[in-house]
Amino acid sequence: MLRRWFENTAFQYAGLLVLIGLAVYYWGWVFDFGYDFDWTVLYEVNKTYGINLGHNLIAGLKLTIWISLISSGIALALGTFFGLGRISHFKPFYWFSTCYVEFFRNTPLLIQLFFWYFALPMGLPADLREMLFEQNFELWSATIGLSIYTASFMAEVIRAGLQSIPKGLLEAAYSSGLSYFQALRTVILPLAFRAIIPPLGSEFLNNMKNSSLAMVVGVAELCWQSQQIESLTFRGFEATTAATILYLGLSLTISAILNMINLRLQLVPPRQRGLAYRISDVFFYPFEKIWAALAHPVHLLLAGQRHRSLHYTPFQALVHRLMKGLRISAGWLFRGAFVAVLLYGLVEAAIGLAGLKWSVVWTNLSTLLIWRFPSSDNPNEILWGLGGLSFSLLMALIAISVSFGIGLVVGLGRMANNRMLCIPCTLYIEIIRGNPLIMVIFWVYFFLPIFIKTYLDVFWSATIALTLFTGAYLAEIVRGGIQNIPPGQSEAAMSTGLNYFQTMRYIILPQALKQMIPAIVGQFIAIFKDTSLAFVIGVLELTFVAQGLNNRLMVHPFEIYTTVAFLYFVCCYSMSLYARRLESRLSPEKVRLQM
Amino acid sequence: MRSWKWQMAAVALVLVWAQTALAGPTFDRVMKTKVIRAGIMTDSIPGAYYNEKKEWVGMDVDIAEEIARRMGCKLERVAVSNKTRIAFVQQGRIDMSVANMTHKRERDRSIDFSITYFFDGQKILAPKGKFKEHKDFVGQKIATMQGTTSEINVKNLLKELGDPKYETNVISFQKESECFQALRMGRVAGWSTDSTILLGYAAQVPGEFELVGDFFSNEPYGIGLPEDDSKWRDEVNFAIQDMWADGTYKKIYDKWYGPDTPYYFPLTEKIEMWP
Repeated sequence: MLRRWFENTAFQYAGLLVLIGLAVYYWGWVFDFGYDFDWTVLYEVNKTYGINLGHNLIAGLKLTIWISLISSGIALALGTFFGLGRISHFKPFYWFSTCYVEFFRNTPLLIQLFFWYFALPMGLPADLREMLFEQNFELWSATIGLSIYTASFMAEVIRAGLQSIPKGLLEAAYSSGLSYFQALRTVILPLAFRAIIPPLGSEFLNNMKNSSLAMVVGVAELCWQSQQIESLTFRGFEATTAATILYLGLSLTISAILNMINLRLQLVPPRQRGLAYRISDVFFYPFEKIWAALAHPVHLLLAGQRHRSLHYTPFQALVHRLMKGLRISAGWLFRGAFVAVLLYGLVEAAIGLAGLKWSVVWTNLSTLLIWRFPSSDNPNEILWGLGGLSFSLLMALIAISVSFGIGLVVGLGRMANNRMLCIPCTLYIEIIRGNPLIMVIFWVYFFLPIFIKTYLDVFWSATIALTLFTGAYLAEIVRGGIQNIPPGQSEAAMSTGLNYFQTMRYIILPQALKQMIPAIVGQFIAIFKDTSLAFVIGVLELTFVAQGLNNRLMVHPFEIYTTVAFLYFVCCYSMSLYARRLESRLSPEKVRLQM
Repeated sequence: MRSWKWQMAAVALVLVWAQTALAGPTFDRVMKTKVIRAGIMTDSIPGAYYNEKKEWVGMDVDIAEEIARRMGCKLERVAVSNKTRIAFVQQGRIDMSVANMTHKRERDRSIDFSITYFFDGQKILAPKGKFKEHKDFVGQKIATMQGTTSEINVKNLLKELGDPKYETNVISFQKESECFQALRMGRVAGWSTDSTILLGYAAQVPGEFELVGDFFSNEPYGIGLPEDDSKWRDEVNFAIQDMWADGTYKKIYDKWYGPDTPYYFPLTEKIEMWP
């Protein structure tokens, strides 16, 4: 009887409404926050300072959008370059690209930003430094630092997309007489883009969210501005809510555009095109017109070339051969120059690194690794004074194990037919994923205590924030894993009389989990890197300890940040090697496409 | 099934515990538990910082310890930053914030303050011999910390001196250490905050930096206390005055700012004494 009711969609919606009503009633009237909300700070002129703080927030939003757009553009260019490098025959280019990708993917963005902003100028000659400081150095170091980070992820996406193309296609293209660039432009890229664009889109989204970290080098973007309102008026709840909603709006806009692009990539016959397709038609109309206008002259040019006669006069043949020789030698010259520049950079870097005072790092290594474990004289430090790298690892471990449970439940919940499960789970996933981690940390740290009326140690606040954040991502991994299992499996299981839980427990999950393992390890690496963000609330993890050390020693920022980057890298890289081994064991038939 | 029950029990236990942890009026709670939770900074030299032995030391730490000792309580140190020190008092997460915080009217609307326990003022730290007076900083970049009164003061100063780009010329960082690094690498021409903090950092590299110009603001430091708990405020005020009366204050002050320290800052004013 009850089950019949629960299967009724109208009843599910009604239930949801009742739940929302109850929540609103409880938090709105019964629950005592001990805090008077004052939303006027967001739109009225503040009397003390004589400024409308809402305008500051909008200025922050504009800057966030600006940083996101510019860094996405640079990242796409760099990512394509290094993505091609990752499948290149030319070994130095391949090695260089691989080092680039692995290094920047496996160190936290925060450390990279600190490095670009605080350490790099110290290593430059004085006049060059002056020239940099003439510019808006905060903004540019943050934007370019962000692009370099995002580019390393995009390079991998592009490489994977290119390698998803069967090798035979490339061989066919070459044997029909196409050159490298022709094969790339007319055969490989058009096909690869179909595989590349969806994951590339989520990199754009991540890039926007990561722009919130620019606040650590003093860039007044959205997150910074919301913190500014908090510190000027102590209206943290209102300011953070506003920033969260703005971030969510940005994320939703970006995903809407991405979804429309995905829709257009699928070849849908005109009759089956739905409303969403029509909307995307309207949206893309101007872009398609511009594209057509740009493409027209190029087409004409190429068409002219295509109909070119193959019968050369002797003179033409000579010119042709000369040009070909020139092209080949230019290619070799370029390669030689590339190797020379690379070698020069390596030697310079090695000389620079050798000239640093590494003994400082050596004497403080134990501080970086375990802080002052074991010691029990200070009761205010949890876990016997543990800190540094081991603390970061511990946080990541707790977060990934707990969030696995959350991810499993929420991921299944999102796929459920029951609206009462599906809608809340979807909301949780989308709201968390639509916000930068730093906002989630602020929420848990400042506002969770108001709701539960108890105060948590910074370590636990940060770990809870990381867990909630990872949970949303794992839920999507779980959903992807389960949707990969052919539906026949669960139909067969159900028809043998297993119930839902039995089907999941014995049939679906054992298969799906095996496929998910590489993605979960990838998520673990991400969460380990993200522990560096806990420094903003003062958790004694590696970044915070490094900053404290730097603060005390003052004169060795280069040594300390390089060491910290190296420590993060070693951990993340070994994990990603493990993930790759797992992946190749699970799908052994991959062939490396080379161009 | 068994494990489910255990988990439910654990959840219930957590909920019950959360309910009992409700913060009551501070004075009663402190007297009952004999524990004072004090918010203290971690990167302000010599206010409160981690030294070479990784111990948490500084003037603020000693003051807080002394107040707790006088009340016969144990001190629980909670790390705060310029961002969290007021929010924590508001939320009742700490009983007092001894975190070189200026007593400001805007702040007094949200929390209460003790009597002034330390007198400071704002100055600008700059490379030696490059600047003579405040006017020289017009058109130059100046570092401050986000969410501090010095950020507002320095913007107002530049505005008064006629700098048209005073908004963008002030760069706000998250930590004092970051400001100092920006100054050292020449990204900013000066760093402005309370003079004792500047002295603390300048002493790390003797002879390279100097304070420029006069004080351009008064920064009376008060201990941040929960709003409307006058019994608790009395208790803290009395403790500070007793400290001053029997010379303990001077002893602590000289330990951190005396003539023998690298942060020498003469004690010129007297704290408010009630007969």
